[in-house]
Amino acid sequence: MKQNYTKNLLRISFLFFFLFAGKFIFAQDDADAKIKKSADTLNTKIENLKDEVGFLKKLRISGYIQPQWQIADTSGISSFAGGNFLKYSDNRFSVRRGRVKVAYEGEYSQFVIQIDATERGVALKDAYLSLKDPWLHTFTLTGGVFNRPFGFEIAYSSSLRESPERARVNQTLFPNERDLGAMLTIQPRKESRYNFIKLDLGLIAGNAIAPEIDSHKDFLAHLTVNRTTKNEKFKYGLGVSYYNGGYYHETKKVYSMATLADGMTQGYTVDSTESNLGAFAKREYFGAEAQLSIDWFPGITTLRGEYIWGMQPGSPSSNISPSSRALPGLTITDTYNRPVSGGYVYFIQNIGQSRHSFVIKYDWFDPNTDLKGDEMKSSITVNEKEIKTNLSGADIMYTTWGFGYNLRLTANVKLMAYYDLVKNETAAIKGYGKDLKDNVFTLRLQFKF
Amino acid sequence: MKKIILIFAIIAAFLPQMKGQSVSCKVKGSDTCLPLTQKEAEEFMKKNAGSSIMVTGGGSGVGLSSLLSGTTDLAQSSRKMKMDEKMKLQDAGKAFTEKIIAYDALAVIVNPSNKVTQLTREQIEAIYTGKITNWKEVGGDDMNIVIYSRETSSGTYEFFREHVLNKKNFATSALLMPATGAIVQSVSQTKGAIGYVGLAYLESDIKAIKVSYDAGKTYVSPSVENAKNKTYPITRPLYYYYLNSAEKVVKPFVDFVLSPEGQKIVGDIGFVPLN
Repeated sequence: MKQNYTKNLLRISFLFFFLFAGKFIFAQDDADAKIKKSADTLNTKIENLKDEVGFLKKLRISGYIQPQWQIADTSGISSFAGGNFLKYSDNRFSVRRGRVKVAYEGEYSQFVIQIDATERGVALKDAYLSLKDPWLHTFTLTGGVFNRPFGFEIAYSSSLRESPERARVNQTLFPNERDLGAMLTIQPRKESRYNFIKLDLGLIAGNAIAPEIDSHKDFLAHLTVNRTTKNEKFKYGLGVSYYNGGYYHETKKVYSMATLADGMTQGYTVDSTESNLGAFAKREYFGAEAQLSIDWFPGITTLRGEYIWGMQPGSPSSNISPSSRALPGLTITDTYNRPVSGGYVYFIQNIGQSRHSFVIKYDWFDPNTDLKGDEMKSSITVNEKEIKTNLSGADIMYTTWGFGYNLRLTANVKLMAYYDLVKNETAAIKGYGKDLKDNVFTLRLQFKF
Repeated sequence: MKKIILIFAIIAAFLPQMKGQSVSCKVKGSDTCLPLTQKEAEEFMKKNAGSSIMVTGGGSGVGLSSLLSGTTDLAQSSRKMKMDEKMKLQDAGKAFTEKIIAYDALAVIVNPSNKVTQLTREQIEAIYTGKITNWKEVGGDDMNIVIYSRETSSGTYEFFREHVLNKKNFATSALLMPATGAIVQSVSQTKGAIGYVGLAYLESDIKAIKVSYDAGKTYVSPSVENAKNKTYPITRPLYYYYLNSAEKVVKPFVDFVLSPEGQKIVGDIGFVPLN
């Protein structure tokens, strides 16, 4: 009897055990399934999120706004400090730049559009695509509207530059900085020991951002090396540039510098050969540049310099490269070939690691290197006959000393105070008998994002 | 009554110090520094209740760019900050502080089954630049060499390229890995593999080889001892970088890492302490 009772008890115990164990095991399975389901859901969410973040990482929106106040020595002066002052104004508020840049960067491609929105209107600044070679990672082909590959200052962002404007030589030879065309960049891949060498070769329309007006293409080349010493205390860059372009002759009259009839005075003489009409004047520049930054106890010191020379075709009264030329022009002008040279030197000193930095900049532009100011005159008299030299304000050399202070208020906001001390050659040409009163003070706030 | 209030005020004033310093910060950057910083953070959090230190890798370049973008409080780096990075920080008006926290020896590793035990610097260079492609050319078996390296954003990559490869190009066949752990794993699973990692990553399933910097006269194995006595040639400092504006947040932790206790952890993890 007792044996039966024990057996029954054991049976019941086993029954209970299997019942509860089964329930426990199934409960465990349920819990595992729930966890697995949650993990799968989470995984799906993470994957979706990764896709979205991946897309957003490729898309970059940046920009900056530069509201400023300026005061000039005189109302209505011509100025390279952000454009001429209007007739009745010697001080002005303006939004110098209001940039928004959208870039989409794929593994082997990049698409960029940049616009400039100010009180003067909305203008296109960049619109290009770049394709990188996927094999050697060495060649990049760019097409559209982009910075001309010439020298250092042109491509150096206005949001980073320590002075309000680029040097007069760059504003004259390369107005708007950009042009329309195609560019091949050759730079060894990042892992290469020769990655510090870069060569840009460009073929452009030569009419800045405006539509192309003729079938002639301008060629540019820019070779640079950039290195940093092992101790990361010195960084230096060197570069050479070349520009070979053409300037359409709207008339048959082409003026070049020569000795005039008195046998002493230099001036323009005209070549009126019929075939000149529709031909191209040579627009050719050479450039050399250097940059050096030193990290030492007073703070980072930077020195930058660039020298450009060559032949600049222009009109009788202007030495500025075409930036919106349209043929046939409203005013048809003769061509003036001017041998030009110019450059700049920056000295920038950050005060320790503080938010303060000072800059001194010297730039010069000589639009006619064949003559000095005191040799220039409007006309000469030979055998009681007046002969015009055809020289004008477009042949006058300018030098500018700039003194500035930059304060980085936050990572996004910068304050700049800058004074341009502008000097022109004095010459016996109308309006240039003495130094013009055209110094400008700029107070600028910049917000960058 | 006044006395009681005074006593309470004094206690209240000293309470935070009595509890330990509560710190909440993010550390990002070098994979080499990762195991060290993680251990240091663990110990620091144990000692300072309420502290939270989040440590992630990604490479020295990632850490330093995060410092610029403000997405980390402390950047760990196995290389010195570059001039370009300094200038970017300067342009953003951000002053920074640099601290050397330890020294590391870089070990060249192979699969344990590989019978090669030592290489000269020139041989390593030839392997990594693709001139030597088979282990039999350096005394090993007839087996193709599989090159593993870190990605270009890694400070270890840059150090290796500059100090071991004499700035020469990596072979195009080199496989660039996103993390040091991935190199360790790949080398442990690939017979013909070669890689390089910080001392702290040495494990039993990979083999560190002896290196000669005097054209094969003497070969030295990578170890804390040999790094300390400067006989091992591939050594480098490890850095922390932080913005001066974040000093209050990170300094207690940095001070802990530089303290004798923190430096003991440096040794325990497999790096070379400062003193």
